[in-house]
Amino acid sequence: MKKAICLCLTFLLSLTFTGCREKYEKFTDYSFDYFDTATSIIGFEKDESVFKANCEKIKAKLGEYHKLYTIYSRYDGVNNLYSINTAHTPLEVDGKITEMLQFSKEMYDLTGGKVNVAMGSVLSIWHNYRTQGIDNPLEARLPDMDILREAAKHTDIKGLEIKGNTVSLTDPESRLDVGAIAKGYATEQIALWMEKEGITGYLLNVGGNIRTVGNRPDGKKWQIGLENPNGEESKKYSEYLELTDSAIVTSGSYQRFYTVQGKEYHHIIDPETLMPAKGYKMVSVINPSSAVADALSTALFCMDLNDGKKFVESLENTEVLWITEDGKKHYSKNFKDYIK
Amino acid sequence: MKSRFKNDIMLVSIILVVALILFLFFKFSLKTGDMVVISINGETAFKLPLNTDTEKTVKSELGENVILIKGGIAQIISADCRDKICVHHEAISKSGETIVCLPHKLVVVINGEEET
Ligand SMILES: [Zn+2]
Repeated sequence: MKKAICLCLTFLLSLTFTGCREKYEKFTDYSFDYFDTATSIIGFEKDESVFKANCEKIKAKLGEYHKLYTIYSRYDGVNNLYSINTAHTPLEVDGKITEMLQFSKEMYDLTGGKVNVAMGSVLSIWHNYRTQGIDNPLEARLPDMDILREAAKHTDIKGLEIKGNTVSLTDPESRLDVGAIAKGYATEQIALWMEKEGITGYLLNVGGNIRTVGNRPDGKKWQIGLENPNGEESKKYSEYLELTDSAIVTSGSYQRFYTVQGKEYHHIIDPETLMPAKGYKMVSVINPSSAVADALSTALFCMDLNDGKKFVESLENTEVLWITEDGKKHYSKNFKDYIK
Repeated sequence: MKSRFKNDIMLVSIILVVALILFLFFKFSLKTGDMVVISINGETAFKLPLNTDTEKTVKSELGENVILIKGGIAQIISADCRDKICVHHEAISKSGETIVCLPHKLVVVINGEEET
């Protein structure tokens, strides 16, 4: 009997104390070195050192893509987007660039030109005015429409020629800007690599480009809270979603903007009006690929709601939440299946 | 013999009660142990309990943010960053919710039992 009690005691105590051992733990890593935004990596591992080692590998890849895709700086020994924009001659580049640019052309065709990586000449004007306006709010100004129209003459996507690994811009005034695609494309490529390497049970969030990689080992689904741009104190998150092996990308007018005479001007520029696209506070796109979701969220931001809804219905595996400027939510057909 | 059996029963009951108390204690302490974790450039700088009202000024070479924890919610009430997006961000209280100040590479996150 004594023995039985001892066993019972050991068993109960072990239940109480080791309930947490050998279990997967959730770890998070924040970094700020890639794509001029905040990156968070969430992963479930039993051992923190495994998580850290995986994060280092993931961040090395992010660094590599960032160096290749940036239009803002030159790196020694690397032909990147900045090099293409300043070369004025055909340039041999890494396959990661040509594949991304090829994908960009596909997205241009798919969205009827609403996502155009050859719009750099226009976007760089807005970028400069925005940066100056943020640094010096009292002198914040809007770019002149004449200057924008002049720049818009040099945004023909056909001027972007890709032959093998050689890229050229046939119009010397033309510039690439991959801001609407590069983050999502890089995130997707890294997620695919992780799946191949067996690094699963992770969630990547590169500046709002969210991609889940594998399931959580605790059997729960990934939960993603979409921020409510309406700012209602009572209901901060506009939606809680559950995703599996999928991406969600949000384009929002509140993410990057500047203020001119009390009015906010955000960073998503409509290729037709050459002005910040009107109509939405945010557009969130669910698609298995974060590259596609990223491109579509920008494109849909520049389409009116009816056109956008029709467009989404023509696509496979794509669900969308639009929040219009009046704060109303609009859903694509099966978006609600993802709401928790 | 009979009293020994009784004693054994007693002992088992005590063990069960103790185990139950320990179990509840762990559950309880986890549930109420939500922390506000502030990190700068990926490194944890401060961990503050969400259930204790406090105001914390976080300085780094990039700048300064003032974080207010009051009534179980946390928010950035002022900052000298250039875009002030962090100051405009809603207060947070649920596990997994974050406020990011991009120019200062600062993240405020609620860490607790049920995560996002
Ligand atoms: Zn800030």
